[in-house]
Amino acid sequence: EVSSLLSAYSTEADPSSYDDNYRILQQFIEMSMDGNKCELSLLLYPVFLHMYLELVYNNHQTKAKAFFAKFRGEMEHYHDADLHQLSNITTKSHMEGNNFIYNLKSNKFVVRISRESNHLIKKFLEDKNVPIIRNILNVQVTIDEFEGLPRTKNQIWASAGGLCGEAKQEENKAKVRTSKFFITTLATVGEIFPSFHIQVYYGLLKEPDIDIPLEDEEDTLEDQTEGGGSSKSKRRKKKEFLSKKNKSDPNAPSVTRIPLPELKDADKVEKIAAAKESLKRIRLAGTDRVSPSVCCYTFTNAFGGVTAVDICDDSTLLAAGFQDSHIRVWSLTPRTLRSVKSASELGLLDKEGDDIFDRMMDDCTGTESKSLYGHSGTVYSLSFSPCRSLLVSASEDGSVRLWSLLTWTNLTVYKGHVWSVWGVKFSPHGHYFASCGGDRVARVWVTDHHQPLRVFAGHLSDVDCVAYHHNSNYVATGSSDRSVRVWDVLNGNCVRTYTGHKKPVMCLAWSPDGRYLASSGEDSMVLVWDISTKVLIAQFKGHTAMVNVLAFSRDGEVLASGMSISLYGLLGGMDNSVKIWDFQQMISDIDSDDIGMLRGHATISDKNYLLSDFPTKSTPILHLHFTRRNLLLAVGVFVN
Amino acid sequence: IPQDSVKSIGESIGILQLPDHAMKYLSEETSFRVKEIVQEAMKYCSHRKSNKLKCQDIDNSFKAKNLEPLYGFISEEFIPFRFASGGGRELHFIEDKELDLNEIINGSLPKIPHDVAMKAHWLAIEGVQPSVPENPVPETHFSIEVLKKGDLKEGRKGVPPMKSCHKPENSSLVALKSRFTHELSVEQQLYYKEITEAAVGSSEARRAEALQSLATDPGLSQMLPRFSTFVSEGVRVNVVQNNLALLIYLMRMVKALMDNPTLNLEKYLHEMIPAVMTCIVSRQLCTRPDVDNHWALRDYAARLMAQICRSFSTSTNLIQSRITGTFCKCLHDDKSSLAARYGSVAGLAELGTDVVQNLALPRLQVEGGRIKNILESPLLNPIDRTAAEHLRGLLVKHCGPVIKTIRQPPDHPEEYLKDYGSLGPLICQHIIKLR
Repeated sequence: EVSSLLSAYSTEADPSSYDDNYRILQQFIEMSMDGNKCELSLLLYPVFLHMYLELVYNNHQTKAKAFFAKFRGEMEHYHDADLHQLSNITTKSHMEGNNFIYNLKSNKFVVRISRESNHLIKKFLEDKNVPIIRNILNVQVTIDEFEGLPRTKNQIWASAGGLCGEAKQEENKAKVRTSKFFITTLATVGEIFPSFHIQVYYGLLKEPDIDIPLEDEEDTLEDQTEGGGSSKSKRRKKKEFLSKKNKSDPNAPSVTRIPLPELKDADKVEKIAAAKESLKRIRLAGTDRVSPSVCCYTFTNAFGGVTAVDICDDSTLLAAGFQDSHIRVWSLTPRTLRSVKSASELGLLDKEGDDIFDRMMDDCTGTESKSLYGHSGTVYSLSFSPCRSLLVSASEDGSVRLWSLLTWTNLTVYKGHVWSVWGVKFSPHGHYFASCGGDRVARVWVTDHHQPLRVFAGHLSDVDCVAYHHNSNYVATGSSDRSVRVWDVLNGNCVRTYTGHKKPVMCLAWSPDGRYLASSGEDSMVLVWDISTKVLIAQFKGHTAMVNVLAFSRDGEVLASGMSISLYGLLGGMDNSVKIWDFQQMISDIDSDDIGMLRGHATISDKNYLLSDFPTKSTPILHLHFTRRNLLLAVGVFVN
Repeated sequence: IPQDSVKSIGESIGILQLPDHAMKYLSEETSFRVKEIVQEAMKYCSHRKSNKLKCQDIDNSFKAKNLEPLYGFISEEFIPFRFASGGGRELHFIEDKELDLNEIINGSLPKIPHDVAMKAHWLAIEGVQPSVPENPVPETHFSIEVLKKGDLKEGRKGVPPMKSCHKPENSSLVALKSRFTHELSVEQQLYYKEITEAAVGSSEARRAEALQSLATDPGLSQMLPRFSTFVSEGVRVNVVQNNLALLIYLMRMVKALMDNPTLNLEKYLHEMIPAVMTCIVSRQLCTRPDVDNHWALRDYAARLMAQICRSFSTSTNLIQSRITGTFCKCLHDDKSSLAARYGSVAGLAELGTDVVQNLALPRLQVEGGRIKNILESPLLNPIDRTAAEHLRGLLVKHCGPVIKTIRQPPDHPEEYLKDYGSLGPLICQHIIKLR
């Protein structure tokens, strides 16, 4: 298969004419107008790449080496990783069986340029005698043309860097839709938006009704003991909170779009507790903000062995995965971890009793931490279920395992991934979880089936991280092909593709309102994407090393209660610091009428949104978690 | 992988006559495969959330490529590469000592490593980093600029009370700390007092203990700025008073601080280097230069300086080149005293044979002439004589081995006299002894 793809390279062309051809292209770009220059120079890299491979394929090794050495220095820095791989390939036999080459050959390189620039290229190819370039542009490169002015250098830079060029606009556009409603919208909106996108229902699901009176009563009781002053404002806060909650979001998918498990009594109690605690939340952005407090959990004596960490939603449990393939769960509260009693003992219990959940646990087994053994390779990712009784883990051995935190045993092994599983994430509603791995696909599973429900294929390289949308309808993935994709769980389609990262994407986070997606990775930039308009809206620069984890503060819930928007992005990285960015300010600074944004170009300002920066003492941060009150928990490993 | 390696590997498994083109093909092919495997391994490394490639990553990448992993290799944190040269070839290798199995079996078991532990501390409280041992030293962090002062309203309780297990032990300390001053706790102050007294006191046993503590105790980083100031001030005062013993004690303190693996002196080099430098090239370091052995101090400080260069010199701070510059300036200055010259030569010599060859050898003739003049002058005082003799001895000692490597035998004293001036014959004798 690969060799047939490669055969496209065979040509009779004179190896010495490559230099001249490339020079002519360079000169043409040099001579073009300033406005078009940046766009046209995008062509240099794919032409260089394929010229080199063509030379190698046709056994002109010394010529290829000379060509590479001559022009390599002129490439953009973000191509360095690829060029490094390319420089390894020096003979035809190397090209066969190489993943990198396979990706280049099986996907055309996408270059996005304006119609005007495209016109210039066509003219250039007609005027000049450059058969090699013409051939490469025809066979290996897709030119994604758009209307309007050419993009600026910054705009181009922001979205460049993908393994096979930029994401095509059509990929995010609506394809075939039969719904009558949709066609009419397409007609009206299509005029303003030259590229209309597949609709993504990014809104949050309507919260199920919870027994409110009970909650109010308790609250008044509390207020009376505290004194009358604050009770009024608190009550108002609560009213707003509840009224907002009951309104339905126009962007939300219907509750039944993806079947979700029914709420149990215990879940309802949990939800009430969460809502109550969120009322005590402090604000970290805006005018009356409080500077954040960070509590750091540091692993010592770990010898660099901790590879994955997760904290459960109510911040009571912490799980750590180790390089030696075991998992350990700690309790972050004075309450110890207990396992359930044996079956015979359970039979004796009164099942109707109120404290049945407490009594079914065996007090003798209480310890501060418990270990889980089962994997046979490094544990790369962990995720708690929202109900706190289950844990999924992903490992180098290619399996995903489901653990019960009641019996502290392994329940199921999900096999399907061929190589390492890099990431796993429980759905915020439980029941489902998503995993991704070295076999370039992400999968969605249900806990009670041993086979995946969905397989998301499309990434060109390892899928390094996965994040479930808050409404459980979408899954975002980040990959080593330096792109971020969003998938619809309902039909398995890829609904968004974003390029702009210059190195593998290692972490993702959805904003609590579900509209924005933040991603980061080895290139140490944090990029924020708007799901509704499909544009890159911010680049947070400041880290100097790989960013391991991103976390949004809980204020998305505050947003739902009608208070002013107070979103807050946050991240930690291997330059051993925790940085806090003013996400709210960034969102309010966005000019939604910006013409570039309407055209789907990346629009970013250079403003610095860094709020605080907390360096740690040689402790890389592995995980960040906001408690419901917006206290930040950071987890790191002390490296001696 | 160079062709030579392919050749020697071939020879080691009994394939003697490899044709050139086969060797070329093999070296290219293996290089390509090795690069491919390392690239794959890098992926595992970054997923381990580490930036150090380990043997396990390579094993994983073998596994992913369906190859048999190499068993029995474990990576250590510190791999000491030894360097050897000879016959115009250079070689880096890892010393692989033969172990006596009996010794291992009969020896006592190594200690069980500590179990993984998790500890909580405050990284920041309302935006302010408390200065607890778990946080980096205040000098190194710069969150102050980012925070706006006005946001910290006094008395405002923004953080919900934490559960008891979250509380760091020294919470009272935390509350008192301001962001700029960096005070030591009472215990630390006591420790500082004890250590500094012992280090420069009269009891040698106590000094040994203090230096041992400085060289091994973790958690001294908070006090490092104080120790650094102590050393630099101490040297300044004692050089003026020509107090040789104290200078030696201070240099031993520097050495102990350097040896402590938990300390990083980089931030304090601006105080350390001038102090050490003073002890190498100062005109006078003791009250009676004709009798006191200040040469030993100069030698010791020179070794220290070389250690500093090895540990901290980078292409950006250029410590080593600045140091060599200082030494050379002193050496080239006609007015500098013999003792200072001695120090400069000692300093250069400790920086390695390359430095000696390039910077000291060309001066040999001039220095030789100068020493000769002094020793033969009619008005010779004992101070100058010991200085000249020491300098002569030092030059012969350090230049000898270098000249030995660049000159082939036979060694004729006349040739040496011609090439290296009046010290030539002495060096010649030395080299003949060496050979």
